[in-house]
Amino acid sequence: MKRFLLGLAGAAALWTASCGGGGSVATPPPPVGGFTNASLKGQFAFVTNGEVINTSGTETPLARTGSFIADGNGNITSGVEDVVAPNAAPNLDITITGGTYTINADGRGTLALNVTSGGVSSTINFGIVLTSANNGLLMDETSTSSQASTGSGNFFPQNTTAFTNPVLPTTATYVFDFSGEDVNMAPDSFVGEFTAGNGAITAGFEDVNADFALSNGAIPPGALTADLADTGSLLTFGRGVATIAGESYVFYIVDSTRIRFISTSGGAMFSGDAVIQDNTIPTTASSINSGFAYVVAGSSSVGVGLTRVGRFTANAGNLTNIEVDTNNGGTFTSTTGATIANIVLDPAHLGRGTISISGNGLSIPLTFVFYLSSAKQGVIQETTMSAGIPIAVADGTVAQQSGAPFSASNITGTYAINWSGQSIQNGFTDEEDLAGQVKVSNLNLTGAADIFQFTAGAAQTNVVTSGIIAITGDGTGSPASATRNTMQIKVTSSSSTTVNFVVYFVNPQLAFIANNQGSSRVVAGVLKAQQTP
Amino acid sequence: MKSTILMRTLAFILFGSLSLGLPVGAQQASQFNARLPQSYDPGREVTLLGTVVKFETASSLPPIGAHVLLQTSSGQVDLHLGNARVLEANHFELHAGDNVRIIGEELAYGDGSIFAARIVQKGVQAVAVRNTHGAPTSPAATMSPAQKEALRGAR
Repeated sequence: MKRFLLGLAGAAALWTASCGGGGSVATPPPPVGGFTNASLKGQFAFVTNGEVINTSGTETPLARTGSFIADGNGNITSGVEDVVAPNAAPNLDITITGGTYTINADGRGTLALNVTSGGVSSTINFGIVLTSANNGLLMDETSTSSQASTGSGNFFPQNTTAFTNPVLPTTATYVFDFSGEDVNMAPDSFVGEFTAGNGAITAGFEDVNADFALSNGAIPPGALTADLADTGSLLTFGRGVATIAGESYVFYIVDSTRIRFISTSGGAMFSGDAVIQDNTIPTTASSINSGFAYVVAGSSSVGVGLTRVGRFTANAGNLTNIEVDTNNGGTFTSTTGATIANIVLDPAHLGRGTISISGNGLSIPLTFVFYLSSAKQGVIQETTMSAGIPIAVADGTVAQQSGAPFSASNITGTYAINWSGQSIQNGFTDEEDLAGQVKVSNLNLTGAADIFQFTAGAAQTNVVTSGIIAITGDGTGSPASATRNTMQIKVTSSSSTTVNFVVYFVNPQLAFIANNQGSSRVVAGVLKAQQTP
Repeated sequence: MKSTILMRTLAFILFGSLSLGLPVGAQQASQFNARLPQSYDPGREVTLLGTVVKFETASSLPPIGAHVLLQTSSGQVDLHLGNARVLEANHFELHAGDNVRIIGEELAYGDGSIFAARIVQKGVQAVAVRNTHGAPTSPAATMSPAQKEALRGAR
């Protein structure tokens, strides 16, 4: 079925079929806020991960990483992107010849990039939500006569003074999380750290989950250099090529603290960021005394999407006040009160550590490995085993909680919202992405969003988005009688659907969300406060 | 956070398996089955023979994805077939009354268990819906080199 050819008609049919209600199309009120086209000005490094469908009607995963220049007046003046799909040749160094964008007062808008690839000119379209005057979230909404693609991502402003040759003139350690699919289209996750400077990777260590097989070890020497096929892109777009642990990548420099990578070798599709490790890394577990929220997502051994979100309090190497919420392919399990839990740091690799949680309500111990980029945050990979075999390929983020108690008094203002995952659509399971903006007042949400249920072949744009957040206790699972923080989101066009979430606040500006309803959806994402100009 | 947030799955390799009679039935148990692992091990695979009672591309029952209710000599068994797009891409259809052969294994899942199918065979056509580690295969695995090349030009 050539679904992308169905366009909007198909989308409308899907929406009606999959959602409750019906009638006239609802439209959100005119956007309000302080954003304008001038809010997006400069050079930005972007990523998306999602799916594409070609003229044969076959879907395949797709990852984009690139750079574009916005003039602050609604025009994209130039750029470049690299596109990778698993088990297929990468499409590298695609020229962005121009484009346009719009930014509404609420920070939502559109971005169209004109690209030329393989002698074919086309336009790729995104919905965007600014989270500040200079960065934001974006969602691939391309739907043309030749392809449809979706996926969620974000963009950061690039500091062009960091575009140097040799790359990264100052040696530093970077923590990374690369994930995606290997050449056999099986899920892989790589988390670790490497030391880089003057164009060379001199040392490092990583933990790998390659298609449900765990390993770890030292990273051999590698390199970050200009791309010999386009040497000029290093100083123009911060784009170059890298070899890390034997894998080839294209990279984009955001600044000296963050580099974005996308793999280019062997038919693999891995992408992710490397973030500089600062000098606040704890050296003993006993010095970690704080609450942390975490989220991991990936694939479970049952063969379906998995999200695990929760929080814990670290206290002298022990973990207390542990909450684990798991959505394994539509079965939601909420666990509280694990009785045996600890955090251990690896003395041989600064910032690396492990977490083990077992006891009450958990049929097997949950285990994770993490790498801290600071005392406050890091990347995390699930390593839980059953009968000697990993039960998941999943990774994500762990971040220190601050600003509690969370309540209507500090969870207020405007927030960008994004989720991504799988849902049942028109009789099939397919990718679902949403990006929007909501105003939060007295924990009630009102706003608008774009949602792309990929079976439709086109995004539903500007759908009315409303909901409510419920916070119990101080919002961090305390007192012990407190239940989960939840959020209910209703998206309404000609009909409506409601999605229920558990919510874990990192701070008043950021929360991890994962849906906790029945068997029709497995999605996770973020709620991120906007800094309105 | 990685915006895909759900890392994708997939790949398939047809693999030899232990051929047994018609076990299972237990996956419909309502209590968590502690004897079953949560991980997929090709060494534990079994073969089911039965008749399709009902096939759904997207069942209301978890796990999310395609399910088939199979009548075996031991009773009815709910099987998870992964992504229905894989069957569609392989032009593989299932209808009530079809006689099928399934290779897979029972895993602990939620409060009970689920039979995860890896290979579905009807007549002479067999489709791998999981790889040997349990990850669902991708409909994209059916793409020809020409189709992949066409994709390069369009994106």
